[in-house]
Amino acid sequence: MNRLRKIFAVIGGFSAAALGASPAFALGTASGTVISNSASVTYQIGGVTQPTVNTATPNLVTVDRKVLFTVTEFGGAFTTQVGPGQAVAVTTFQVTNNSNDIIDVGLSATQAGVTAAHGGTDNFDVTGVSLFVDTNGNNIYDAGTDTAITFLDELAVNGSKTVFVVASVPLAQVNGDIAAVALTGQARAGNVAGTQGAILTSTVGANTAGVDTVLADLTGGLTGDVNYDGIYIAKDDYTVQTATLSVVKQSRIVSDPVGNAFPNAKAIPGAIIEYCIQVTNAAGAGAPATSVQLSDNISSLPVTFVTGSNKIDATVSGANCTGGTTGGTNAAGTTNVQGTMTNPLAAGTSVGMYFQVTIN
Amino acid sequence: MKQGVIMKFLIAMLALLAPASAFAANEVALQSAVFVEKAVADSDGRTKLVLEPPRVVVPGDRLVFVLSYHNNGHAPANDFMVTNPLPGSVAYQGTTDPSAQVSVDGGRSWGTLATLKLHDHDGTLRSARPEDVTHVRWAMKRAIPAGAQGKLSFSGVVR
Repeated sequence: MNRLRKIFAVIGGFSAAALGASPAFALGTASGTVISNSASVTYQIGGVTQPTVNTATPNLVTVDRKVLFTVTEFGGAFTTQVGPGQAVAVTTFQVTNNSNDIIDVGLSATQAGVTAAHGGTDNFDVTGVSLFVDTNGNNIYDAGTDTAITFLDELAVNGSKTVFVVASVPLAQVNGDIAAVALTGQARAGNVAGTQGAILTSTVGANTAGVDTVLADLTGGLTGDVNYDGIYIAKDDYTVQTATLSVVKQSRIVSDPVGNAFPNAKAIPGAIIEYCIQVTNAAGAGAPATSVQLSDNISSLPVTFVTGSNKIDATVSGANCTGGTTGGTNAAGTTNVQGTMTNPLAAGTSVGMYFQVTIN
Repeated sequence: MKQGVIMKFLIAMLALLAPASAFAANEVALQSAVFVEKAVADSDGRTKLVLEPPRVVVPGDRLVFVLSYHNNGHAPANDFMVTNPLPGSVAYQGTTDPSAQVSVDGGRSWGTLATLKLHDHDGTLRSARPEDVTHVRWAMKRAIPAGAQGKLSFSGVVR
């Protein structure tokens, strides 16, 4: 027996050392849970087993509310690409409750003083900012389905909700403009559905008999958010990605009535002039331009449109347009010559529309 | 149940025998106290671990349970064994006392943690871990002399 005890003692010492690393407890005992401890002792006096003795009063410890939650950018650390005038531009966040109690999370989106989240410099504000919760849980903003909110109601223990910041992009924005937006979450008391609870603060002073509150949230690293303040802030941004178009109109005199051809033809009545409208999407533009429509109003010029001469999708070659296909407006007497290009115009490329007129 | 019957019999016998009963009430007293381990910075900025009464307790806090026993009687107590079931919300962390034994099956079998195994949820047999412990007990090798007292302790983390 003694020998056995010694073995136990050795193993005991061993296992105590192995206990050094504390296991992590992600979820935690629910707040309000009462931990009671009681022990008992058995013994003999003079070889006679005595009645078991129990601890007089069990220890009672009430588990308090540990507030721990995060607000994070959701769906990858990259900017949301938007176009000028985009009415519904969405950034996505996730709010996760790791507290040991249900909490409400008050939400607000801010732009003032928020720096760009993914490089570059914040230089404009999106407008009409509103918040929505992902009602149907598909992590995609569905207008008319997802519900507008100002706070997350009854966020379950270990529960997460996806929150959308929905805004509009002013039409005047140009390629590369950035609008940063921060979503601030503040822990509030839960357990009353449909009502935003009071802001949770750490209980100060002596322990109360009931459930105390300990703010244990960390910081997201942004201004206005420190450890244990019940606030968590994350940010994301919108980057305008658009085509940057420039238009040049070139002309050349194709022929004159006395038999001269380009480049010797002269601009005399009866001469034929070719107008070449060139559009270029600048190298480095954020997006291709689609449905590029060109128009040239010649009504104020002393010229007459040459019926059927208008060509679109032309190749731009220096000052000239070549190739292309007959298209756009081609009727006799056309004074506003128009055409829509068939293919998207990629960044760094040009396309042209050209037509002929006769000098009156 | 059988033991209970014997006990009752013994009590009856002893009541008849003498006023100097071998069963003096409250021969042994057992008290339990609980403390929470907190990191406190001292004036030099060093962090110290101190035991405090459990004012604010949240998941992850380390609790230290201290059991105090006292033999108030006039005779030594033999086969002295203190048993403490773990509160459900507390994950066992260990005890500094190497003579302590633990159980991971509700007190049916006992041993040091390293010797115990149990069936996982999927049925595989695995070594027991601290958080599996359901009971801890101390079986004293020597008798507790009359008037002697002592303390036992173990720690656990609030799940």
